[in-house]
Amino acid sequence: MTTTTEHREVRTPAEVRRAKILAVVYLVLALIALVVFALGTEGSATFGLSRANDTIALPDLTISASGLGFIVTAVLAFLGAQQWMRGFGSKTNLVLALGMVLFLFAFLAWAAAGASFSLVGIFQEAIKRAVPITFGAISGVLCERTGIINIGIEGMLLAGAFTGAVAGSTLGAWPGMILAALVGGLLALLLAVLTVRYRVDQIIAGVVINIFVLGLTSFYTSQILVDNPQLNNAPIMRAWEIPLLSDIPFAGPVLFAQNVFVYAMYLLVAISAFALFRTKWGLRTRAVGEKPRAADTVGINVFRMKYLNVLIGGFVAGFGGAYFTIGSVGRFDENMTAGRGFIGLAAMIFGRWHPVGALSAALVFGFADSLQVKLGILDTPIPSEFLAMAPYLVTIVVVAGLVGRSRPPSDYAAYVKE
Amino acid sequence: MLSGLRKKGALLALLFAFALVAAACGDDDGTTTTAGGGDTPATTAAPQASICEVTDVGGVDDKGFNASAWAGAQRAAADFGAEAEVLESQAETDYEVNLNSFIDAGCDLIVTVGFLLGDATLAAAQSAPDTPFTIVDFAYGDETPPNLKGLVFNTDEAAFLAGYLAAGMTQTGKVGTFGGINIPPVTIFMDGFARGVAHYNSENGASIEVLGWDPDTQEGSFTNNFESLDDGRAFAQSLVDEGADIVMPVAGPVGLGSASLASELGTFSIIGVDVDGYDADPNNSGVYLTSVLKRIDNAVYAAADEAINGTFTSDLYVGSLENQGVGIAPFHDFNSQVPQELKDQLAALEAAIIDGSVSVGG
Repeated sequence: MTTTTEHREVRTPAEVRRAKILAVVYLVLALIALVVFALGTEGSATFGLSRANDTIALPDLTISASGLGFIVTAVLAFLGAQQWMRGFGSKTNLVLALGMVLFLFAFLAWAAAGASFSLVGIFQEAIKRAVPITFGAISGVLCERTGIINIGIEGMLLAGAFTGAVAGSTLGAWPGMILAALVGGLLALLLAVLTVRYRVDQIIAGVVINIFVLGLTSFYTSQILVDNPQLNNAPIMRAWEIPLLSDIPFAGPVLFAQNVFVYAMYLLVAISAFALFRTKWGLRTRAVGEKPRAADTVGINVFRMKYLNVLIGGFVAGFGGAYFTIGSVGRFDENMTAGRGFIGLAAMIFGRWHPVGALSAALVFGFADSLQVKLGILDTPIPSEFLAMAPYLVTIVVVAGLVGRSRPPSDYAAYVKE
Repeated sequence: MLSGLRKKGALLALLFAFALVAAACGDDDGTTTTAGGGDTPATTAAPQASICEVTDVGGVDDKGFNASAWAGAQRAAADFGAEAEVLESQAETDYEVNLNSFIDAGCDLIVTVGFLLGDATLAAAQSAPDTPFTIVDFAYGDETPPNLKGLVFNTDEAAFLAGYLAAGMTQTGKVGTFGGINIPPVTIFMDGFARGVAHYNSENGASIEVLGWDPDTQEGSFTNNFESLDDGRAFAQSLVDEGADIVMPVAGPVGLGSASLASELGTFSIIGVDVDGYDADPNNSGVYLTSVLKRIDNAVYAAADEAINGTFTSDLYVGSLENQGVGIAPFHDFNSQVPQELKDQLAALEAAIIDGSVSVGG
């Protein structure tokens, strides 16, 4: 954490290498922008900036696809040259993000040339798609900051989804969400007992939870839910527009006309970021994760902290799982989480074990997801299979070094009190 | 330390026992369901014939093609005094395992459901040449072993009708579709749908657009899974954002997510696939304009008939409008909204497809 804020005149060979690699990335992107986006299209792309029933309607944005391509080419080439010669120092990642956004915008204009699509829709969907990923990632952050690897997030999400469907159908949406969180906590307790008390390998314990939940929920689905559809008809949390805020052009419908799970996600990110880095509890949590022996020496109850944090992580994942049923489609089907928990893990690493980073990473994945949906509708020459793997390709590239080294914050060895 | 180890053992044993109990329940009344055997007491009578189904990952309760095949197997079992058994594949790695356990169990017909089981089924049929196999959605052509019957469907004929209907019903001038995975049994629906719309356009001088599939480039919108209902919701939302008011999801249970959005928003309707969505999805039945029916149950029933009554051949079964292997479902709640003129045109179109005067191909 401290290395990024430290000001140093001399760069290490690894940093120099990374700067050069980045410069090459910019130049390659500039080349693609020139050949494909600027020279390969004609016509204009139309982006819808508001929906029919918005309070303040914005006019559609029409852009010449090839014109934008040339502009983006020039900017990227400039950034690449600058990166090669001098670098951007502490602003490297910010500039990289801006460059990526520009490139993406040119890409969208190219894909939508001669057609139109709703930019509000794509961003609104991106945020929705980020919800379960963010909940999973923050569950992971809470566990890993305290020294427990939680591979079982996928299972906890799935269990939350199942509980949400059944409890939501019988007791109503709110009790369903609470029970889903509790069931997630129960699984987390199992993880904690296995790894802290009995020192079972953390990866194995997590995998066991995933397989166990998948089997159990599939079993109960085929045995109970199929014959009793009334148990699998949970109420759905409708979008709730926040007064005034939702009237802001563009940002309003994207950020503030969502359902309660999205608002819960904003709150969770804010609270967990504050709690981890600004409170006594957070300091102790990180101390237990990084140097359990030292924490123990100064009188922190290491085991209690681990149990507590893993339990909270379980609540978060269980609640996030309820999104799939109560927050989205109102019914449970086998394995409906479809790997979102694992993407949450990737988002946690990508976001460097920080709640805000996790949210940003989840938004990248969510955006890639919703972009894939949109590009399938526009007639692009890119095969759908490639679009589907694009987010993972981005992860590999990013984690492999573009954003710098991602270092786990904790000592994951099982702690043995002497 | 020692007591800790003992406790660890006890905990693991408890987990193991729990898993065993769940598994035992499954064997009693679950994963190996017996149908049509209610009248056979547990005696040492001659063993019953058995029809064994291996599902794809969607599961037997997917309300789609796995369920439809299972319905056919159960109906055949009841009619021919056999038992029907099913093993669900949780992952693609289960295909071979499930097939082998049915081969070992001496099944009289093994039914595999879905294109994705194609390779596994061929391998199994070659390794057990005395066991009859039948596979939904796969044709092996010249390589068909004598104990393997493919069941395929000209679903594009029915989807063509659905596309024509959708084009006649849309208010916005745009209709949409998306698929699970870009494989022939999925895209055949989308092909038929898009060409049905094109046929409507050329017959009526209209210009209805199809979003999500281009039959010429064979590219379009795909969730790349058959599981995530949230994807179904997102894909439908996206099509609606672009102006579609009728959506046909061709992605098994994923489409249930689209139906859920349709009933929440009330601004668009759904065309179901495989089975009649109106019956299969009672919570959202009001959003189904119609469904493109693929009578997998009839095909499995026909194959079971052959296998049990000794007339089994490896000849391909092709379901079509003509033999009622495919069709479109009644309009149910939308019945009063579909103009009589359009209904007449659809009936004429169906007859024209059957007699060959209208081609549904590209």
